[in-house]
Amino acid sequence: MSLFGMLLNWLRGKTCILAALFFLALAGLVGANVFIRPHEVEFVYDAYPGFWALFGLVGGLAMVIIMKKIVQPMISRGDDYYERNS
Amino acid sequence: MSAIASGFVHPTVGFYALALVLPFLPGKAWKWLLLIPPVVAIWSVMTIEPGLYGQASWLGQTLLLGRVDKMSLIFAQVFAVMSLIGMVYALHVDDKLQHIMACVYVGGAFGCTFAGDFLTLFIFWEFMSIGSTFLIWLARNERSTKAGFRYFMYHTIGGLFLLIGLLMRYKAVGNFDFDHVVPTQMMAYDWMILLGFCVNAAVVPLHAWLPDAYPEGTVTGSVFMCAFTTKTAVYVLLRGFHGVEALAIAGTVMCVYGVLYACIENNARRILSYHIVSQVGYMVAGIGIGTAMTMNGAVAHAYAHILYKGLLFMGAGCLLYAAGTTKLDKLGGLVHRMPWVMALYMVAALSISGMPLFNGFISKTMTIVGAAEAHRTWLAVCMEIAAVGTFLSVGIKLPYFAFWGKPANNTMELKPIPVNMYVGMAMGAVLCIAQGVYPDMLYRYLPFEMEHAYHPWTVWHVLQSLLLLGFSGLAFYITRDIITPHAKTNLDFDFFYRLIGRGALALVSKPLAWIDDRWTEAYRVAGLGGLLTLARGTVWFDTKGIDTVVDGSAYTVQNVGVLSAKVQTGRLQEYLGLAAALGLGIFALVWYLA
Repeated sequence: MSLFGMLLNWLRGKTCILAALFFLALAGLVGANVFIRPHEVEFVYDAYPGFWALFGLVGGLAMVIIMKKIVQPMISRGDDYYERNS
Repeated sequence: MSAIASGFVHPTVGFYALALVLPFLPGKAWKWLLLIPPVVAIWSVMTIEPGLYGQASWLGQTLLLGRVDKMSLIFAQVFAVMSLIGMVYALHVDDKLQHIMACVYVGGAFGCTFAGDFLTLFIFWEFMSIGSTFLIWLARNERSTKAGFRYFMYHTIGGLFLLIGLLMRYKAVGNFDFDHVVPTQMMAYDWMILLGFCVNAAVVPLHAWLPDAYPEGTVTGSVFMCAFTTKTAVYVLLRGFHGVEALAIAGTVMCVYGVLYACIENNARRILSYHIVSQVGYMVAGIGIGTAMTMNGAVAHAYAHILYKGLLFMGAGCLLYAAGTTKLDKLGGLVHRMPWVMALYMVAALSISGMPLFNGFISKTMTIVGAAEAHRTWLAVCMEIAAVGTFLSVGIKLPYFAFWGKPANNTMELKPIPVNMYVGMAMGAVLCIAQGVYPDMLYRYLPFEMEHAYHPWTVWHVLQSLLLLGFSGLAFYITRDIITPHAKTNLDFDFFYRLIGRGALALVSKPLAWIDDRWTEAYRVAGLGGLLTLARGTVWFDTKGIDTVVDGSAYTVQNVGVLSAKVQTGRLQEYLGLAAALGLGIFALVWYLA
């Protein structure tokens, strides 16, 4: 295993710390958004601080849940569906 | 073909020359020759002055092989760079046919880019289709064979739309000039040509060939394919059809559609394929909106996209090469064994997501901000949603389940990855970062004059991107158990293509075969009876003593019989070949007379 590989493997064991750092960074970004506002508003609501944070979070959650829980069960077939049916 | 005129070395020449000599070169040293056409191409496009070069006459038409302007040059430039990266990545491959077909394909892309008329464009368009089909077939397994046939059939149909359109257009306007069409004055033939282009641009719902075929190509072949087919189509759309409203809508639909499917896909190369649909959507939308900024955004994004998508396919190719599969449910826990593949892949993954410091950030935002400035708010919002999905699937899901996901996997057998594959990836990664940090590297080549320059590196743009991507990351964190990929086939529009295919087969094998049977029967009863009567007459005639004449005609009849028996072999491929030859003959004749 290369040194780089060992470093990455070591990081695996530190998920709690990494997650904490990640949440801290997110909080910092929203905090910064209170002071830094868009120079030009794309559409009305992005003038509010935290809009794009909410957009990313809600958009991501909705996409995953709708696609994996509702759409995929409807449109998915067995892994070898086309092999068996052609 | 006089491709070299007034000092322009057409990049296609190098690639086709290599394709022609490669079969005759012995030993292993020929591999170094693979790097020459790309280097010549880079030199050529960086030094050539805009102008018209290389006219040739064929079938009474004047072909313009070298229309060199800012628009064609920037596409040719990135094609040249990508061809070098792709060739470096493919250096270890011993199969000459793969390299030959890559040359045919890449040369075709250059031919299309510099084509000044529809006829030249069509010829190189078909060369690309043939080259890329072989890049799929040469994976040499059952799945790729079938996928290659589907791909070829689909692109042949797309090519026919283009051919029908350009012939109709020729009939109406009397030339093959390939220029911009005013959107409000589009005729039926323009729509036909547009349809042909849209097939190659993978515009939904004509897109399903892409996620069907690209995951089945060779490890190195898919790296070429992901760069050239759709981007050549983007180039011709930009040249011919910018400002067409339908493209603005279609492009935005592509953006979202691609990410939704990628979200539930299991095969890494298929996830990346759906993201081609999505990313090309930004370009198509930018072209459709048609302001200088969105069109420049489309061009910049095409440039950046070729680099990072090539790198993504190289990373996934490494997984396929080493582990033998790209299915995420079978991978996982490999990060410590392929750390550099992961790191280089991540450069591309962050680029496609539009993370600051990487080239997607300076290209994608340009199209989105351009759309917003053109007051196409909803299109811009949908593009932002697609950006969220892109980071979810390509930025986090794919690397998470391929490299991390499961506990450290020390048992899976991994084939060592050749150095040249790493070198190819490193080249791509360096360019992705360099363009992200120095946007002017890319912006200075953009073809359209803008009212005001676009500056991606403002505090707000950086913060907005980080907020959007950071919280998409949080969404992944929350749903990581839901998004876990499953080994499933997700039905897409190719389900309908296959239905149409089966319908056509049924039509041929049942009603048409029935008609054929009846016809044969009728022929046997009526035709043969007639012939027998005629024969009796001939016998009678013969017995009357004109032996010499009849002997002669008997021989003729026999010869004609042998010939027609040869034609009626009952083998479909021979009928197809015959029909194609006949079609070409008629085509040439019509042309000659017209």
